[in-house]
Parts: sequence; C-alpha cells; structure tokens
Amino acid sequence: MFRYIVRRLLYMIPVFLGISIISFFVMYAAGDPLNIIRLGRPNITQETIDALKVYYGLDKPIPIQYLTWLTNLLQFNFGKSLYGGRPVNFLIGSWVWETVKLQLISILLAFAISIPIGINSAKKQYSKQDIAVTSISLFGVSMPTFWLGLILIIIFSFQLGWLPSAGAYGAPYLWWDNPVLDEIAHLILPVTVLVYVMLAQNIRLIRANMLEILRSDYILAARASGLSERKVVYKYALRNAIGPVITYLGISLGAIIAGAPMTEYVFNWPGLGRRYVDAAMRLDFPLVMGINMVITVMTLIATLIIDICYVYIDPRIRLR
Amino acid sequence: MAETLLNIEGLKTHFFTEAGIVKAVDGISFNLKKGESLGLVGESGSGKTVTALSVLRIVPKPGKITDGKIEFNDENLLKKTEKEMQKIRGSKIAIIFQDPSSSLNPVYTVGTQLRDVIMAHQTVSKTEARKKTIEILEVVGLPDAETRMREYPHQFSGGMKQRVAIARALACEPTLLFADEPTTNLDVTIQAQVLNLLNDLKKKLGMSLVMITHDMGIIAEMTTRIVVLYAGRVCEIAETHDLFERPRHPYTEALLAAVPRLDMRKTLRVIPGNIPNLIEPPSGCRFHPRCNYAKQTCKEDIPVLEEIESGHFVACHEWQNITLKGERSH
Amino acid sequence: MASNKTGQKKKEKSKRRGASQWAVAWRRFKRNKAGIFGLIIVMAVFFVGIFGSFFAPYPARPDPHAYDPFYDIDPITGIGDVRKPPSWMDPEEPNSWKYLFGTTPIGTDVFSDIIHGTKYTVYVGVLVTVITMALSIAVGAIAGFYGRWVDNILMRISEVFLVFPSLLLILVFVRIFTVSVGEPFLNIPIINIQIPTGLTIVIVILGLFNWASNARMIRGEFLRVRELEFIEAERALGAGNIRIIFRHILPNLMSSIIVVSSLTIAYAILLEAAVSFLGFGDANTITWGQILQENFSEMRIVWWAEVFPGIAILLTVFGFNLLGDGLSDAMNPRLRD
Repeated sequence: MFRYIVRRLLYMIPVFLGISIISFFVMYAAGDPLNIIRLGRPNITQETIDALKVYYGLDKPIPIQYLTWLTNLLQFNFGKSLYGGRPVNFLIGSWVWETVKLQLISILLAFAISIPIGINSAKKQYSKQDIAVTSISLFGVSMPTFWLGLILIIIFSFQLGWLPSAGAYGAPYLWWDNPVLDEIAHLILPVTVLVYVMLAQNIRLIRANMLEILRSDYILAARASGLSERKVVYKYALRNAIGPVITYLGISLGAIIAGAPMTEYVFNWPGLGRRYVDAAMRLDFPLVMGINMVITVMTLIATLIIDICYVYIDPRIRLR
Repeated sequence: MAETLLNIEGLKTHFFTEAGIVKAVDGISFNLKKGESLGLVGESGSGKTVTALSVLRIVPKPGKITDGKIEFNDENLLKKTEKEMQKIRGSKIAIIFQDPSSSLNPVYTVGTQLRDVIMAHQTVSKTEARKKTIEILEVVGLPDAETRMREYPHQFSGGMKQRVAIARALACEPTLLFADEPTTNLDVTIQAQVLNLLNDLKKKLGMSLVMITHDMGIIAEMTTRIVVLYAGRVCEIAETHDLFERPRHPYTEALLAAVPRLDMRKTLRVIPGNIPNLIEPPSGCRFHPRCNYAKQTCKEDIPVLEEIESGHFVACHEWQNITLKGERSH
Repeated sequence: MASNKTGQKKKEKSKRRGASQWAVAWRRFKRNKAGIFGLIIVMAVFFVGIFGSFFAPYPARPDPHAYDPFYDIDPITGIGDVRKPPSWMDPEEPNSWKYLFGTTPIGTDVFSDIIHGTKYTVYVGVLVTVITMALSIAVGAIAGFYGRWVDNILMRISEVFLVFPSLLLILVFVRIFTVSVGEPFLNIPIINIQIPTGLTIVIVILGLFNWASNARMIRGEFLRVRELEFIEAERALGAGNIRIIFRHILPNLMSSIIVVSSLTIAYAILLEAAVSFLGFGDANTITWGQILQENFSEMRIVWWAEVFPGIAILLTVFGFNLLGDGLSDAMNPRLRD
C-alpha cells in the first residue's frame, strides 16, 4: 500500500511539471507579458512593473525565468497581485476553503444520490423508470451549469424569496436567524447545481456498469448461494460497479473543479473560482498562475485520494 | 430403490430475445434418487446448464421457465416464492460453476464470501461463521486455511479457486449438488484432484450429485446414471455402464465415438454439423439433420421417450432397427 | 451483411459492403425516436442559423433598427419601460407577437437576438469540432499506430490536459488574445462573409484545449483495429504505414468519429456559452452566452432575457446529444449499454 502511494506520487511529478510549464507560458502566449499587462491595465505604475521584472526575472532567458518562478512556487512564494499588491498566497489562502467546502459537499452528495438511482435503473432495464432516468440524465448533461444556477436563483430567490441568491454568508442579516442555518441556506442552491451536473454523468455510468456486472458469473453464483437480492445487489455487485465510476471521477475532477468559476460566478461565491474570473479578466498574472497551480495541486491530491479509495474497493489494482 | 430426490417433468425454459424465442430447454424430464450421481451430457448449447439454473430458479434474463414441474423432496419448486427459494439455494441445492475465476467475486476475500453464504442460511454469530469457514476450507483441502481465507480470489491458483468454489457450494451441506463442468478450465493434473475431492465429499456428506459435462471420460468415472441431452431435449437415459456398452440413440453413439482412447486404435469421429439453431429448431427429431440413420418419419414426428428396458429410456424412432456401437465394441 | 458474388473485384466488394453498412445503420437509426428527434432539432438549428436573418422580427446589431423595441416608449411623454416582459404575458400587449421573449434593458428584442445568435452557435459548434477532431485524430492515430514511447509520451501529455482544469486556462488565453484584437470582423472578399475575429480566436483556443479525451478514445479504437487480421494481411502484402492508416484503419473508425463529433459539437456549444457568460467572449458577436452575460446584472427584472437564450442552448445541445446517442446505437451496436 505504502509503495503504491509512493509510486502514484512519483507519477504525479511529470504531470505537475507539465501543468506548471503550461501555466507559466500563458504569460508568453501573446508575446511580451508586460505589453499584455499594459493592454489590460493602461494605467499600471512603473513600480509594479519593476516588481514584476524582479519577481519573474524578466530580463533573464525564459528557461531561467521558469526555474526561478518554479523555485519560488515550491517555497510558497507566489508573488504579489498586480492589483493592491497583496501577496498571492495570502489571498488564495483566504479563498480556498470556500471552494473546497462547496465542491466536497457536492461530490459526496452526488454520489450518495446517484448510486441508488443508477442501481435501480439498471435492475429494471428498459422499464418506464429506467427510460425516464436515462432521458432526464441526458437532459442534465445538455444543460449549461451556470444557466441552471440562474434559473434556480430566479425561482427560489427572486420569485419565491426562499433562499439567498449570492454569497456564502448573509452579510447584512442572517438567514433563518442562525449562523449555521445561514451557511446552509447559502449552500443549497450552488450545491444543487453542482450535484445535478455530476448526477447525470454518475447515474449513466453506474447504470451501464451495473448492467454489465449483474450479468456476470459471480453474481449468478451469489444468487445460487441463496444470498438475498439486497445483499447480491448492494454488496456483491455494487462494489464492482463503483470502481469505474471512481476512475471516472478521478479523470473528470479537473473538469469538475474547472466548473467552479461558473457556479461561483453565478452565485457570487467567495471562492477561488470567482476570484479567478476577476484575475483572468484583469490579466493579473501572478494571481492567475497562483490559482492555477493551487487548483492543480488540489486536483492531484484529490486524484491520489481517489486512487487510494480505488485500491481499497478493488484489491486487484494493488498488483498492477 | 432409494427415494426420489428430484423429479423434473416437462421443463421448458425459453429465452425471449430480440431475435426470437430461444428454446434452450424444451420439455426435459428426468429424475434423481437420493445419494445418486447423475451425469447430464451433451454438447454446449444442449441445455445442460440452463436445466441446472432452472432448478435453482436463477435463469438470467431474458430467460423464463415457461412450463413444467420441478419436484424437490416432493415439493414443486416452481410454486415457491422467491424468499422460500432463497432458503433452498445454497443450503439444500447448490451449484459449482465452470470457471472459478469468474464465479468468485473479485473484490471480496474468500473468507467473506464463504461467511456470507453460511450466515445467509444459519443463525450463527460472526465468530462461529468464521470457524465454520475455516473448517470447510480445510475439508476441501485448502492448506493454511486460516490465513488464506483473508486473501482475494486473484491470489489463488485455478485449482485452489475451484476448491474455494466447492467449499462455498458445500458450506451448508446441501442434499443436491450441481457441478457444471467443474474441471473444464483446470489443468489435467488438477482435474483429477478436484474430481476425487468431489467424490470423497459426496460420500462423506451423503449428497446427490448432478455432474454436467461434455466429457465422457469424466462421466464414466463419476456417475452411475446418465441423461443425454440434445438441443433442449432428452435423447437417452440409462445406467452409465449400460449406456457406454449399448447406446440406443445415434447421438449417444456419436458422443462416445468422439472420445479419444489410448488403448484402441481408431480414428476420432467428429459429429458432423453444428448444434441446431434453437430459435427455429429442426422439425421432428432435432438430431435428424446430423443423424446417419434418419428416415422420413424422423423429419416429421417428434420421438417420445420410451422405456425399452428397465431403467433405459430412449427417444428415437429407429432404435429397434439400428445397432449402435458402444464403448467396448470399437 | 449482404452477400457478395464471388469473382468481383475486391475494391468493388468493399465499396458495396460499405454502402450497405451505412444503409443498415440508417435503417436502425430511423427506428430510434429519440435520435430522430435530435436530428430534427439539429436540422432546425442549422436552418435558423443559415436563414435566420430573413425572418427575425428585428435586424441584428449593430443595425440601429435592432433597438427598435426601445422606441415602444411613448415618444412624446417618454414614459414606459424598455424592459418589456414577453409579449404574451404582458397585459399591455395581449396576444401580440411583437416581442415574444421580451426585451432587454438596452432595448433589443430577445427573440431576435436568439435568432441572430444561432449562426454563431453553429459556427462555434462546427469549427471547434473540426479543430478538435483533426487534432485528436492526428494524436490518436500516431499514438495508437506507432505505440511504444510515442504512445507513452502523447498519452502523458493528454493526461496533463485531462487532469488540468482546462476552462481556467481557456479563460486566460481567450482574454490575452482578445485584448489585442484589432478589427472586429474579417471580410472574406469573394463570398462576402464576415468572420468575427474575437469569436474565431475563442473557437481556436477551445479546439486546442479539448482534444485530450477524444484522442484517447481514438487511440483505443486504433489499437483495436490495428490488431485485426485484415490489417495484418495488408501489412504482409507490403502496404505502407500511411496507406494502412488512411485506407484501412480510418475508414473503420468513421462511425466512431461521427458519433464523437456530434457529442463534441454539443460540448463545444456549452463551453463557448460558459466562456461568453463569464464575460470573456467576443463583445461584437451576440452569441447566446453573450446575451446571458449582458443581462446577468439585471436578471432580477429581465429574467426572460436569461431564461429563453438558456432554453435555446439547452435544446440545441440536447439535440446534438440525442443525435450522437442515436448514431452510436445505430452504427456501433456493440457499444450499447
């Protein structure tokens, strides 16, 4: 197990380096970064420009610049924001928790809901319920994430006035007169959006896997041994079906986290995604690259956790 | 004569596929005495496995038992509720499948899988179930059972896996065991070990055995009576030595002729043609397109299973007019 | 499969078999109601995209008449609100089709905006998919065909693209390149079509960042087909790699490529809508995402300007997804379930 984790960690190094290279060269995508910065912000001060030159060593050759940046990065020195000049790592630190909270709750909830639905759908293949579930989930895949958020806000915040439309905490007043309930009230709509998006994919995957596994010999053998239907499906089949879903989750984590800016923008959520949109809009390179790298590391850590879960679920992996 | 344990009458199990109705089992009747070893023989696709699955009532979709009677201890299994069947499966009637690597769940330890079966049928505590698991694994000859039960199926060799599968089937000491080609996927040396084990256990536990195979060699060794199936129907039923010496059905003769033998110099005969399409099976006797002795009646009339000597049944229009070669006469 | 007379030349044989294979797929597709529904939606979208300007109630911006609904304000008293709800639910305009989906705070008609946006949707969907598929077929084919270290390197690179939250990078890239755009439209002289520069930049960037998962799929298919016996036979007959790839393997992947293309179009449309909605789109081209972005801040009042363009996106994407699923069922029965 320990060796497996070490191997996975080593395996992540090239991925991390690859992404850091892409992130770094974003600055050079359209020529001299300083020109681009000036385009994005015409009234930038010479002071800031000088600070940038020092931080990135813009007078040195590009590979050296990259190495300087990478070394700084590894020492948690992300540079300073072009706007306000506050250290990037400090800014990110204050936003990261909100994003993690939102994503984690949504992923867990999406799994808890999609498993029973997917299983039931597979057990009754081609039944009315199954057809309804598959077509609704295709509908779900077709829906723009952010638009679902807009609709929910229009209905539940603007028309009905039941839930807050923006933010993570009630700044002017507390929803439902309680700080905990207030936090939950703010979570409901964004979590609904994120869960709905993941749900559709998850259900389709679990259904497809379950269909295959329910036809396998070991399920027939489990039935032949007189195990109850519940045990056969929820113990013997489920654990096998969940593996590919978890693999998929690992692969799509990047995309899920990439969806963060959209949801966070719609709900004005004070997280990394929301700030990233602002930073990218202003071409605040230190902040953009900092958030990029933090999200990358978050994704890699999550992938590692998922890999470990997978080993626990399917013991055959350990040998590979 | 001993009591009848299992009596199957006119069993029909059909698969309702998009291409049409596959009549995998189409009116099979035979019985089994207590303590007997019965062989169920036929090519693949003859309905051997589906018969076994029908008795356990675990025919996979889109299959369905459409007609017939399956009496086990004088109770019709087809009238039982699903709950009642669950109690019978694994405790009274058990089955061993052909491929142990696919019939054991890859994500649970061997011990867990055995314990689940024991706990499904007996009200025992977890520690007691664990003890029983170790016991039964030792009975099937798994060395070092206490540590090995914590391992996963992929950590076992093929022969050891099949021993585990046998242990799972015998965990609750069933009175009837179906062994569905239990040695086909094993090495030859392991085959003999597994067959010996099955024989020993059968004697020890006093259960009845239905051996499903297409291997006439195994059948000769393991059984006392044989049911020959072809395309979902019974061709011939007889005591093993009787069937081997004096087969009365052309298909049985062909099966026997296809067995390689070292002690005799003969060319191996292959049964011409393929197993028929079970969606639109041949009219009359289903074997007639491949039969050397087929006459016009064979194409038109379905032969009935008739008792030609005590305990020897055959379903052939021509049995009186033909002399067939048995094992010894080659 | 249709039986073939012996003695025919091999080429003809494979051609005929090819034709019948497509015919079989079409027959199977016709029975799939959901797929047909998808096809109808897709055809409708293309129709509106091409001919929309002929029947839109108001012309496209920047034509001043695009703001005509604005003049519904009483010219003398100046009383009235630009932000009209959909006319069928507006008590002042009973049974009117004047502004079916309402008007925006700047006085444009949402219905007309949606119709004019359709051509951009088609443009985005098709061009992103062409770029994505060209890249992923190239990468997938090279990795799948040459295998070994080439495969290893390409797959590691694709993993980087898969693991990385690519929308983040897309946003910065789009921003960097659109900041420095000069002319909003490029005129193609002879056919007299205006190409929106900003949108095209967005499209190219979306295409460049999307190839990874498709490339992996095509690589998998390549590996499968490469091992088939007839490829071995061709190789034994001395056919070169290029010939094997283009003449023998790719035609076998055609059905998979078509299915994936349809699904990629759907995804591309969603992605562009997201980029535009976040404010990174081309402000000169009023795509559906752009309409959503423009009216987002006044959403509390002009909810109709958020609801209807979204429905347009949803329906279009749903249509391409249904079509893709239907094609997949019809052409690759082995992929079912």
